Amino acid sequence: MAFLAFALFPAAAGAVLYIDINAPGGKRLPLAVGDFVVVSGSPALTRGIPKMLEADLELTQLFDLVPQEAQLEKVVSAHFAGKNLDFPAWKTVGAEAVVIGKVEGRGDQLAIEMRVYDATQGTLIIGKRYSGTPAQVPQIVHRFANEIVYVFTGVRGVFGTEIAFSARDGRGKEIYVVGMDGKGLRKVTGNRSFNLFPRWSPDGRWLAFTSFRTGVPVIYLHNPETGVEKEVVRAGDTKAPGGFSPDGDWLYYSASAGGNSDIHRVRVVGGAREKVAGGWGLEVSPTVSPDGRRIAFASDRAGAPQIYVKDLGSGEERRISQPGVYATSPCWSPAGDRIAFTARAGGRFAIYTVGPDGNDLRPVASLSDADCEDPSFSPDGRQLVYSLRKKGYSALKITSLDGRRERTLVSGLGDVGSPAWSPAR
Amino acid sequence: MCCSSWKYTALAFLVVAVVATGCSKKQTVKSDAGAGAAAPAAGETAAQQAPAAQAPAQPVMTAKQAEAARGVAVTEEKASMFADVRFDFDRSDLRDDAKKTCQEVAAYMKKNPGKKLLVEGHCDDRGTAEYNMALGDRRATSVKNYLVSLGVPTSALSTVSFGKERPLDPGHNEEAWAKNRRAHFVLQ
Repeated sequence: MAFLAFALFPAAAGAVLYIDINAPGGKRLPLAVGDFVVVSGSPALTRGIPKMLEADLELTQLFDLVPQEAQLEKVVSAHFAGKNLDFPAWKTVGAEAVVIGKVEGRGDQLAIEMRVYDATQGTLIIGKRYSGTPAQVPQIVHRFANEIVYVFTGVRGVFGTEIAFSARDGRGKEIYVVGMDGKGLRKVTGNRSFNLFPRWSPDGRWLAFTSFRTGVPVIYLHNPETGVEKEVVRAGDTKAPGGFSPDGDWLYYSASAGGNSDIHRVRVVGGAREKVAGGWGLEVSPTVSPDGRRIAFASDRAGAPQIYVKDLGSGEERRISQPGVYATSPCWSPAGDRIAFTARAGGRFAIYTVGPDGNDLRPVASLSDADCEDPSFSPDGRQLVYSLRKKGYSALKITSLDGRRERTLVSGLGDVGSPAWSPAR
Repeated sequence: MCCSSWKYTALAFLVVAVVATGCSKKQTVKSDAGAGAAAPAAGETAAQQAPAAQAPAQPVMTAKQAEAARGVAVTEEKASMFADVRFDFDRSDLRDDAKKTCQEVAAYMKKNPGKKLLVEGHCDDRGTAEYNMALGDRRATSVKNYLVSLGVPTSALSTVSFGKERPLDPGHNEEAWAKNRRAHFVLQ
């Protein structure tokens, strides 16, 4: 992660937001990514960069991309040394914004400069220079794509983030990680046992999950980068990690004793444990509010499982899902204003969000012939990843909160479930 | 933004510096031990030869390997001399047919006091995996408690839940679900 980034031109403070992401059926911004210029080193250095950038921007469904073949002006190195772009020519092909880029190769290092212009006003919106190795190019492109999304929407993009999940492999289940763009799928465990319920630490470096790899369920912390693994919870029968406190010091989890599951938390360093919520019902799936003061969890204390919010200070608990409805797997939004969960309606499972006070219930994803379950928020809070199951078929889907923009993240693996979106990278 | 990037950069340099220092130290130690480095290699060869010459017929499993084998074994369905106990959707209380099965199990256990029995709790594949894991645990416990009430010593019984992770019938219909909501008995 150690490539260098310099802001050449700061994004204009309080700039006009070009795209209102909350507008229903919001309009897309026509944007052109020009071919990149190579000023020194092999011309092959640019290979793929504009396409990578376009692929990221395409994923947001916020932009209409003007294809390179349609573009009239060829970007040259003089454009980075004072020469103005021919903005009318860009407007002619429909572009309201233009991205240009320049690559310089110096030994095994690359310097990449990227700029975004407003073609209508003829002004520079943002410019950045990055340096790193060729292997770091995807990270650099993701980083700049996040900047582009930020200058146009006011919310930083989530390119370069990852989703962890569990899926069937032989008879067992392994933990997998995949990029939010669907690339870089890899297996994190490989012990042919049951590995379940992955959850990211707030710094994005550790995955907590339950594994039966010694024959009994234990919660481990695993660093996918280094392979380092630590045991965190062995006590109790059944157990599943739920979420971390915002400072990463505590892991909230469910564990059962004598057939009764309660919510506990454990100090990640030191291992001190305490019970946080319980009762005679089954309490599972804790998720922590971003300020760390409240948790939401599922409990069947009133019959069918429902969602409750507990204030950790006062100890007060209140139900936020509708009585009688089977509701599970809450996930607190990064801004703290919504809780996503799974509810059973008409014999099918569907995804909803609701305010932490139980008001303003909104549907997100439902299908008449499939189950939508296990929502997890993207770090910008604008999207949810969830699992879809239809008879033997299963997939991970990513959807906008209004359910309008949707795409398949992972398919072709068996029993995919428990997706967890990583923090911002 | 510019500032935070600089901070990361500075941090990265710092980390590189620390690692570099660490490496050079380690290398010093290594070069000191250079002469002795051959000794472990020789020892290894000896260790490799030894089992060939005097190994017992059966391979020795390390504690780690035994654990790993148990980890894989939990994914396998073991045959049982007892019928499975079936449950209703989202329930863990024992139906009359379930009680009858448990009574047969209890009778066997009382006749065979040395035997140990594992009660596995399972669920159908509808609903969240975490909730089902807890529900399977409650099903297994419900069976265990009934067996105890019938006179089976607690010490002879243990429970585990596999939630919805190990369905008996891979189907996605009521018939399959009914088979998968179960407690399964494994004599140990």
